[in-house]
Amino acid sequence: MKPVALALVFAFAGIPVLAGVGVTLVEAANPVAWKALLQYPGIGRTVAVSAWTGCVATIVALGLAHLTVGLAAAAARAERLRTLILPLIALPHLALAIGLVLVLSPSGLILRLLSPWATGFHLPPDWQTVQDPWGLSLILGLIVKETPFLVLMLLGARAQFPVDRLMLQSRSLGYGPMKAWWVSVAPLLQRRIRLPLTAVFVFAVTNVEMAIPLGPAMPPPLGVVVWQWFTASRLELRAQAFAGSVLLLVVALGALAAAWGGTCLARLVLRAYAESGHRELRAERPFRVLALLVGVPFTFAISAMAALALRAVSAMWRFPALVGDHLELRLVAQLAPSLKMALGSTVTLACSTAIAAIALVTLINESLIDDVRWRTRIGVLLFAPLLLPQLAFLFGLQSLLVRLGLDGTWVAVGWEHTLFELPYVWGLLAAARKQLDSRLILTARTLGAGGLRSWRAVTLPLLLRPTLLAGAVAFGVSAALYLPTLFAGGGRVMTVATEATSAASSGNLRLAAAYGAAQAFAPLIALLFATLIGRAAFSGRQGVPR
Amino acid sequence: MSVGLALRSGVAILVFIFQGAIAPGHAQSSSPASPEIVEIERRGRGTTVYFNAWAGDEAINRYIAWAAREINRRYGVTLVHVKVADIAEAVTRILAERAAGRLSEGSVDLLWLNGENFAALRNANLLYGPWVDRVPNARLIDTLGNPTTIRDFTLPTDGYELAWGSARFTLFYDSAAVLDPPRDPKSLLAWIWAHPGRFTYPRPPNFLGTSFIEQLLLLLVPDPGRVQHPVGSDFAAVTRPLWAWLDAAQPAMWRRGRLFPPSGPAQRELLGVGELDWTMAFNPLEGSRAIAQHELPDTVRGTSFSGGALANSHFLAIPANARNPDGAMVVANFLLSAEAQVRKADVSVWGDPTVLDITVLSESDRRLFGEQSAASDQGPGGVLSEPHPSWSAELEREWIARYGVR
Repeated sequence: MKPVALALVFAFAGIPVLAGVGVTLVEAANPVAWKALLQYPGIGRTVAVSAWTGCVATIVALGLAHLTVGLAAAAARAERLRTLILPLIALPHLALAIGLVLVLSPSGLILRLLSPWATGFHLPPDWQTVQDPWGLSLILGLIVKETPFLVLMLLGARAQFPVDRLMLQSRSLGYGPMKAWWVSVAPLLQRRIRLPLTAVFVFAVTNVEMAIPLGPAMPPPLGVVVWQWFTASRLELRAQAFAGSVLLLVVALGALAAAWGGTCLARLVLRAYAESGHRELRAERPFRVLALLVGVPFTFAISAMAALALRAVSAMWRFPALVGDHLELRLVAQLAPSLKMALGSTVTLACSTAIAAIALVTLINESLIDDVRWRTRIGVLLFAPLLLPQLAFLFGLQSLLVRLGLDGTWVAVGWEHTLFELPYVWGLLAAARKQLDSRLILTARTLGAGGLRSWRAVTLPLLLRPTLLAGAVAFGVSAALYLPTLFAGGGRVMTVATEATSAASSGNLRLAAAYGAAQAFAPLIALLFATLIGRAAFSGRQGVPR
Repeated sequence: MSVGLALRSGVAILVFIFQGAIAPGHAQSSSPASPEIVEIERRGRGTTVYFNAWAGDEAINRYIAWAAREINRRYGVTLVHVKVADIAEAVTRILAERAAGRLSEGSVDLLWLNGENFAALRNANLLYGPWVDRVPNARLIDTLGNPTTIRDFTLPTDGYELAWGSARFTLFYDSAAVLDPPRDPKSLLAWIWAHPGRFTYPRPPNFLGTSFIEQLLLLLVPDPGRVQHPVGSDFAAVTRPLWAWLDAAQPAMWRRGRLFPPSGPAQRELLGVGELDWTMAFNPLEGSRAIAQHELPDTVRGTSFSGGALANSHFLAIPANARNPDGAMVVANFLLSAEAQVRKADVSVWGDPTVLDITVLSESDRRLFGEQSAASDQGPGGVLSEPHPSWSAELEREWIARYGVR
């Protein structure tokens, strides 16, 4: 069983990523391309913008995530928090980014709500509140998107430690609840989320989907520039684009090194804080104020969704009216045929790839249940697509697919989707499987059930809820994937994500809003289904892992 | 099932033969049928055509969807609109396929392009053809009255691309805000300074933004004939007045010239929400269409420079490695039919002017166009032809170097 599982993982997840990076490195070995790259106007600013926005967004998102989980734990609200954040995680990056443009821009939702009664504006002011040169709107977008993900990861890690006992101990030593949390629990959790945190960080530094609508444009972040070269019609830009993706990889690694330095510093600060001996019983108030900050990502995400809906139904969204004069569902109705097609392929792809990912993870999970060392290695391997900048291997992989004649096929698209779902499914299912009380399975075996039967009768039902949840998350991941779909699909496989991005990058916000709303809607339905099925299957039972 | 299919194609062939038989009686019919097109249509039946076309405008997407339904009904060809944000994406894909050694079975069957992208594919010898002569409806094109249908940015099309629509660079303004629209670069500059933050143009290398600076260049150079020839060492000298104009306008433009909308539809959206008083398009009917579909206020009007508007055509081409050139020709032939062209020119649909010579159409087809021409806004001023495509690339490079980093 074990060799089969390992071979499958390497063939399925390891080889494409390695080959993709390999091809990229080979194609980038071109001195002319590097010279052109380094002479590109504003290349220094481009690199700086990528590193700056990625670092700030990740640090703030991590801080907010810790604060959220800490406050929720103090108030015993962890479960409710989880229910609250899942819809936010399912929100695709692009839909969120377009929604935020519609909220933040001078003609956006915020100023509409305040105009003209408070601001006196009858025309939108000429303010650069989105795509600002400092990348603040991009940073905000990344924070809104990544905080809920980190919260989920922290909640998952929390279940692996005797958090209540640790808290009780610290409290009995006289520490206030927040200090007890920061000093005794938070460092433990932090160590557990290193892998997903790195993925978040690399995404923040290198992403294209959120940087196109929200990021600075003159010059854009490095990821966007490389992406523009890859899609430009001049052949000589191709080598330059490959060189650019290697530079992107270097920037991501550099940022990671800086982050590592930062954690060392943070550790020193935390230690000094712990050793100071202050009990901080009164420090509650500042934290209560900070609790308001926790609401920021949620508020922005919800207003972004509202703005998407408003824009999609208003033919003309004249400032400062909140809703257009010609409120109509006509666009939605006109879009119906192409929406139906795009939704059809989105759902087909998402369902089939989610099933494939779950099957593969279940196989590894069961065959490697006792092998801690391999489990860790597999975890890193499966995370590779998230730990590397997408652009650093997708184009390499693409030229490989073209050579093999596999591009433009559903198989290729499905494969790449599964590749990106595996880390999430593994993250959720491996943890859930490890938390299962092994005595239950042992009991089944003592009662005479074989390996397969005890799995079917005990393990499977106990894992049903986490599996459904992992399936819903995988569905959401697939529905949001743009670059892999576009490239592996050769433009032929059209999903809601490709439609929304093509509308957004050609600047048609209303069209993008309509597709974005559909893109946000699909994973929410999947999540709802997963929750309802999970509830129905275990109604009236206690202690079943959620 | 295969029997049914064979039966259906048999009937179809009979229909085409019948049409072919009566065609000589209507020498100037709008859908002349030649033995060759009948054969092409026979081979195309039951196939799929992947049509790579810019998809940033829902009005155009809907038109293509309508064409796909009609083509499927009449010719049994499945037309799939592969939606791209920029046709350069498809050109890159074709180039990449060649680099990977895929000389047939390519992923693109038909693409919508002009100018730079045509030049790139033609120079790399990556276009199928010449095929235009094999499409009967190509004979209806007004090549004499509209020479841009056979010269794409000064390059002869040589039968490698088929004109689909004709375009004319048009500026649109909100007449409630712009009372006396400027008609030359100098007065436009004065208007911009009098109304800071209310004018901009799409960011080059977006094709519309590049066209705007080409339009300015043609109006500002002392010798417009120079730019009809390939760019040379005199680039800096020739373009000096253009950069002087842009430098002067920059600080008073939208976002003080530190940000530009990414595309034409993006700028139209900014006009719609009220951030701008101007937008631009390559389609003189764009304003009427947007008003008809409530996307812009009904006070929006079109204008062009008194020195002449940049005019060009946009085309359909088939890549050399296309899997299905026959199907692509069936699609192209339909898109050039009077019926498809009338619908395309309708402002309640797309509003893209026809390339057909209305005088050679059949009586009934001419009547279709007749009703429409009353509504179409021809706009004042003459027509300027596009510069040689090598200028676009140089202008884009220089623009990015000058304004790309703020």
